[in-house]
Amino acid sequence: MEEETDFDVIVIGAGFAGAATAFQLLKEGIEGERILVVERGEPIGGKNMTGGILWGRELDAFTDYIGNWEMDCPGIERCINHKKVGFLSNEDAVFIEGRFASWDGTGGTEEPSERSSWSVLRAKTDAWLAEKMEEAGIFVMGGIKIDQLNIEGLDHGAYDARDLTDPSEDSGKGAAQKWKVDNLPKELVDKVRNGTISGIVQDGEVMTAKVVVIAEGTNSVLTRAYHFDSMLHAQSKDDMLLGIKEVIHLGKERIDERFNCFPGDDERPPSGMAMELALSLYREMAEEAWEKYPATKGLYPRCGGFFYTNEDTVSCGIIVQLKSLPEGLHTYDLYEAFKAHPAIAALIQGGEAIEYGGHLCPEYGLHRMPHRFTRDGALVVGDAAGLVFANGMQIQGMNNALHSGKLAGKAIAHCIAKGDVSAKALDATYTKSLKASYIFRDLERFEPATKFLNHPANFTWLPELIGKTANRVFREIGEEKVPAEKVFFGVRKELRKRNKANKKGMGLFSLARLGLLGRKL
Amino acid sequence: MTESTQIGLFTYDVKNGLGLIAYNVDDHEHAHIIVDTKKCDDCSHMMCVWGCPAQCYNYRDQGLEEMKFQVEDCVECGTCYIMCDQGAVSWNHPRGGFGITYAQG
Repeated sequence: MEEETDFDVIVIGAGFAGAATAFQLLKEGIEGERILVVERGEPIGGKNMTGGILWGRELDAFTDYIGNWEMDCPGIERCINHKKVGFLSNEDAVFIEGRFASWDGTGGTEEPSERSSWSVLRAKTDAWLAEKMEEAGIFVMGGIKIDQLNIEGLDHGAYDARDLTDPSEDSGKGAAQKWKVDNLPKELVDKVRNGTISGIVQDGEVMTAKVVVIAEGTNSVLTRAYHFDSMLHAQSKDDMLLGIKEVIHLGKERIDERFNCFPGDDERPPSGMAMELALSLYREMAEEAWEKYPATKGLYPRCGGFFYTNEDTVSCGIIVQLKSLPEGLHTYDLYEAFKAHPAIAALIQGGEAIEYGGHLCPEYGLHRMPHRFTRDGALVVGDAAGLVFANGMQIQGMNNALHSGKLAGKAIAHCIAKGDVSAKALDATYTKSLKASYIFRDLERFEPATKFLNHPANFTWLPELIGKTANRVFREIGEEKVPAEKVFFGVRKELRKRNKANKKGMGLFSLARLGLLGRKL
Repeated sequence: MTESTQIGLFTYDVKNGLGLIAYNVDDHEHAHIIVDTKKCDDCSHMMCVWGCPAQCYNYRDQGLEEMKFQVEDCVECGTCYIMCDQGAVSWNHPRGGFGITYAQG
C-alpha cells in the first residue's frame, strides 16, 4: 500500500461537486500537482446544464483561488432579489411576488443582508472554474471519459464495467428482465463491487490514486457499476425529473427594463428575477392522449415551470416527473404549451432561442439514496450521490454539490494524513459529516413536503381554482359584488361538476388535509 | 414553432430547437446508445418515444411500423434508459470529446 501512487486524489467530473472537492483538498494542504480532475466535456462545462439557480454562498470558501467570483465568473449571471411563485391554468395566471432588499445585500432589517442566490449558466461557470483550478496548480483534463475504476488485484481487462449495469442481450421483458451481470462469474462481480479502488482506467491505461472521488453527475454510470447505488435505480422512473429548458436571448437592456432589474455597477452585479410555477395546462392535451392510448388513462403529467433571468438571456423551462408522463404526450410538447401560455409568452416576446436542452434531476429524497457513499479508496459526491433537495419552492442540487465536495475534501485530506483511506475511515469522516450537514437535515425535515408536492391537486384543479377565484375576485364588471368566500365556493362547485374525478379531491375534508400537508413546506 | 388548430394542444418544433446545439457526432461503431429495436416490437407503451426531449425515438407516434432510433440529436439526458423497461436500451456517455456541447448550459 505504501508504494507511491500517481496522484493523491483523482476526481471524476469537473462540475460543482468535483471542483469543490479539488479546491477543498488544496485548502487542506494537498499539493495541486497531486490532484487530478478529469472531465468528459471538451470544452469543460459543455456537458452541463441546469435550470438554474445557485443558492447560498458556498463558493466564498474558495476566494483564495477564485477571487471575486460574483463579479468575475462569466456564468454567474444575475443576483436574484425578486422571486415569484405562480399558478398557471389554461386561462389564468396568479402570482405571489416578492422583492427583498436583504437579498441584494443593500440593507433591510432581515439578517443576513447578503447576496445569496444567482442565476447561473453552467457551461460558462464550469469552464471558468476549470481555468481557476488550473491556475491554482491542479491537473485538469477535459474530453476524458472514464469507463472503469482500477480495482486492486483485478485485471481491468477482465470485465467491462457496463456489463454490471446493462440489460442482457437475451433479456426477457419487463419484470422478467435479465441483466448481463447475472451471467458474470460471482467472484468477479464481488471483487468489482467490494474490492479496494485504487485509481482509474482510461483507454487501458491505469492512473493510480489514494482516493477516487466520483462526481459524475446525474447519469451516474460509475456509481451504479461500482455499486454505490443499486443498478435497479437506473431503470426506475420514480423520483426522476426531466428538465427541459430553452435559453432565450432578449438582450441586457430589455431584460433590465422588462423585469425591473438593477443593471449592475462596479461593485454590485445586476439583479434578476426567479420564478417557479405550478402548472395545470395539460388537461386538453392529456385527454386527447388518453383517447389514443387508453392504457394510461387518468395519468396527468405533473410539471413545474421555471423562468430565470440571466444577464442577457432568460432560462425558460419545465420539469416533468417522469412517472407521471402518460403515453401519447411528448415531453417537448409539454414545454411548448408552457411557453405559449400568455403569461410566459409575454415575458419572452421578441426573444430568440439560442439553446435547447434536457437534463435529468434525481429527486431521491432519503428513501432512495445510494446505499453507500464510500468504498475502500473512493467516495461519491453531488448529484451522483443523489444529494438533491426538492420541496417545490426550491430544487437545490448545486449548493448541495458544492457542500458535499467540501466535506469530501476535508475528509479525504484527513484520511490521507492518517494513512487510512478505507471505507470505514471515509465513513467516519465524510459520511458522518454529510449526515450531520444541512443537506441531510433538509432532506429529513422536508420528507413530508413531498407528499404535498406530488399531490395531483397541484397539477390539476388547484391552479385552476386559484386562478378562477382570483379572476373573479379582482374583477369589476359593473355588477353586484360577490364576497371572496362565496366566489371560492362557487368556483369549487363548478370544477367539481365539470370533472367527476375532481369531485372527491375537492371535498372539504380533502381540502383541509391538503392544507395540513402544505404547512410542512 | 407551430400551434395546432385546437385550443390547448401544442407541438414543439423540436428539431428546430436541436439545431441550436453544437454536436460532434461519433462514428456509428462508437454510438453511446444502442437500441435493440427488435425488443420494441412487443413494447406496449413506447415510453422512450414520449420521454425523449430530442425526438431520437420515432415509432408508431409518427406512423412508423417499427422503431427508428437515431442517436445524432441525443442531448445525453438519460431519459430513455430510465423509461425503457424492455431491456432494449443500452446507455453510456459518449466517448470523451464527442456528443453534445452546450455553450450556455
